[in-house]
Amino acid sequence: MTAQRHRNRGLRIGLRTGLLGGAISLAALPVLAQDLVWARYGDIDSLDPHRATSTLSMQVWDQIYDTLLAFDENGVARPNLAKSWEVSEDGLSYTFTMQEGVVCHDGTPFTADDVKFTIDRAFGDNPSLTRTSWGPITDVTVVDDLTVTVTLESTFGAFLPFLADSFSSMICDSNAELEDYGTGSAIGTGPFSLVSWVQGDEVVLEANPDYRNFGKPVENDGPVHIDRLIVRTIPEPQTRLAALRTGEVHIAEPPFDDIPDIQSGEELELVVAENTGQNVFWQYTTSRPPFDDIRARQAIAHATDPQMAIDIVYGGMNQREWCPIAAGVFGNDQEFCRQFGYEYDPERARELLAELGYGPDNPLETTMYVWTGGNRHILAEIFQAQLAEVGVDASIEIMDIGTMNARVREDNENADSEEPGTFNMMTWGWYDPDILYALWHGGGAYAGYQSDELDAMLERTRTLTDEEERLEAVQNVIQYLMENAIHVGLYTPGWEWIFALRPEVEGFKVGAFLHPMFQDVRVTE
Amino acid sequence: MARFIAQRLLAALITIWIATIAVTLLIHLVPGDPVRIMYSGFQTTDAEIEAIRERLGLDQPVIVQYGMYLGRVLQGDLGYSIVGNQPVLDTLLQRFPATLALTTSALLIAVVVGGSLGFFAAYKKGTAWDFGAMTLAIVGVSMPHFWLGLLLLFLFAMTLEWLPVGGSGWQNLILPALTLGLATGAVIARLTRSAMIDIFDQDFVRTAHAKGLPKTLVLYRHALRSGLVPVVSMLGLQFAYLMGGAIVIENVFAWNGVGRLAIQAVFARDYPLIQGFILFFATVVALVSVIIDVTYALLDPRIRYGK
Repeated sequence: MTAQRHRNRGLRIGLRTGLLGGAISLAALPVLAQDLVWARYGDIDSLDPHRATSTLSMQVWDQIYDTLLAFDENGVARPNLAKSWEVSEDGLSYTFTMQEGVVCHDGTPFTADDVKFTIDRAFGDNPSLTRTSWGPITDVTVVDDLTVTVTLESTFGAFLPFLADSFSSMICDSNAELEDYGTGSAIGTGPFSLVSWVQGDEVVLEANPDYRNFGKPVENDGPVHIDRLIVRTIPEPQTRLAALRTGEVHIAEPPFDDIPDIQSGEELELVVAENTGQNVFWQYTTSRPPFDDIRARQAIAHATDPQMAIDIVYGGMNQREWCPIAAGVFGNDQEFCRQFGYEYDPERARELLAELGYGPDNPLETTMYVWTGGNRHILAEIFQAQLAEVGVDASIEIMDIGTMNARVREDNENADSEEPGTFNMMTWGWYDPDILYALWHGGGAYAGYQSDELDAMLERTRTLTDEEERLEAVQNVIQYLMENAIHVGLYTPGWEWIFALRPEVEGFKVGAFLHPMFQDVRVTE
Repeated sequence: MARFIAQRLLAALITIWIATIAVTLLIHLVPGDPVRIMYSGFQTTDAEIEAIRERLGLDQPVIVQYGMYLGRVLQGDLGYSIVGNQPVLDTLLQRFPATLALTTSALLIAVVVGGSLGFFAAYKKGTAWDFGAMTLAIVGVSMPHFWLGLLLLFLFAMTLEWLPVGGSGWQNLILPALTLGLATGAVIARLTRSAMIDIFDQDFVRTAHAKGLPKTLVLYRHALRSGLVPVVSMLGLQFAYLMGGAIVIENVFAWNGVGRLAIQAVFARDYPLIQGFILFFATVVALVSVIIDVTYALLDPRIRYGK
């Protein structure tokens, strides 16, 4: 604590003198390094944006790299490293003009070659894990140092939003010469450069003095105010909170059970992210009974009350989500979705179950899969009790998200199994309705519900680039998914969206789609 | 002695061999397709999944997979970590010094605190001191590691602000080592007490007192040395217990050892790393047991002659 106070005092004196004296050299003053420590439950998977998909990884890439476009407060993609672009008449070629004077962390200029390097790499021998989201890119041509043309095989409505997301982080081509790129080194153009990564322990980043912001919704467009950002892994929630209270850590995700205490106290501040793009929803094994029948799916949706459950578990920290895509994502409209949604109506659920032959003496037996963590097991127990009220005997299986993804797919693929089908509280976070294509086209990620009609509708959402036409196409898909009770929205946000801050931290913001921003952060005493 | 060491080494090798079978079967016992669980990103195509399955040898019969695995293990190759993208053995060896520092510090605390408490309780047998010391030991044995850890954290880090909460410096070692050490120390205290009570009643102690040796000399040179023999024999088991406890404690205190790595591997579904950890863990515990057995045999010749 004492050392921290000394450091802060040193910086404050430096800042004041700088403001008053103007020409007085700060180097002559005893300005010591100012660290900001951010504790999270887990570590990044990779420093390479092509090799991981986790939110934990993405939030660190945001600090090291920058993107051609950037999301504004409302989640709309705006110019960033690319100051402008032109689209060919057929919508197949995008020519981007870059900002001048952008420098990579190793001092080399950021040019069109770096853009080409990044995209070619994403489609190379060891392609990006999210390459499908780049769109049907066929060619990248460097026109000159600051101009690059990207050619697509077919029009792609989610192309520009993708270029604002961390998965499209621009990787400087000098990384190609690094043997340990992604595991021990990373060169980008972001607000921080990498100092070290001790896997499982901490990522140490230092301020990039050459950084300039062009499109992110922050006030400070120059280098960050702090000297270093240390992203530390502290898995145990109570230890994270203890470190936050003692001042060893400045920002951390708090344990849910302690949030009321934090809110009522004056010691810590809470920042709750909005427009995270996170959607928690019901989905079902539609390949076999009972959920091959729409009435069974609808019965589950009518029998459960997400609003009551999240009020109990999260105490107003998130919202009911009626749509299959989360608030903040293009196409999300609560009123529109609600008209096709499933209100809490246990009586209607009982009727539907009775039509299927289920009743008090013959309950529908099934299993609910839930992703571990975030107090979701408590939600599951509430839903289980609500389902029991209408005659659904649902056992709960809690597992990590990767296992759940695999089990859901396997359940759908085992259409001939004698076991009753399962349903699950699935979670996805994405910046664009293109997620629906990944989840449902041709059965999608989970080999689930499939129909030619839905496939055709999903293909339309991808190829349309006119905003109004695309909105209509997206809403058609939403209506189809909801009317058929395939993808039933429950709530948003769902994970890692609450940050507790020390009182000395000022200016911390979380941008749309859960991108924490440190450009305005100052640590005062 | 050579025969004794050979016997112990053979037992250790059998333990490690059983561990290799267990880790091969592990991947097939977990519900769900292991490759899909490991590569659960939705943009991995079926063809890529099959290619990964082939690369990892998971398309082969289990017995063939085991043969391949054993062959690699014998060459010191535990595979590649999926998340870290580096050899599993290198990853484990990078983290092992931290776990070794934690477990040896904890063992030291356990022996010093537990041994002293047990010796004291035996010396004060039947008094309120004995009752108090043993009550403390029962509390120590019964209390879950993580809970004791959190209590110590709240006391020393949050309330008194004497020690840091988590991290990797030497000051950060104190609280996790204390947490692990105190629980193990409670077991050692109970063991030492019963061993010392037994020794205090032995003829040679009575004789030492009768011939007029100073009390401290009788207690520390004659009684304590003999009383510690069964305690030393328990250290191998206690080390295995500490290694297991380290998995939990490293996570509570964010101590960057192999235990924390194991939990991270489980959450990241990094099967090669999980398999490597189990085998590494079994090997370390087996080898430490051999060392303890040999040390014990050196201290007490009756052991090596099977008496």
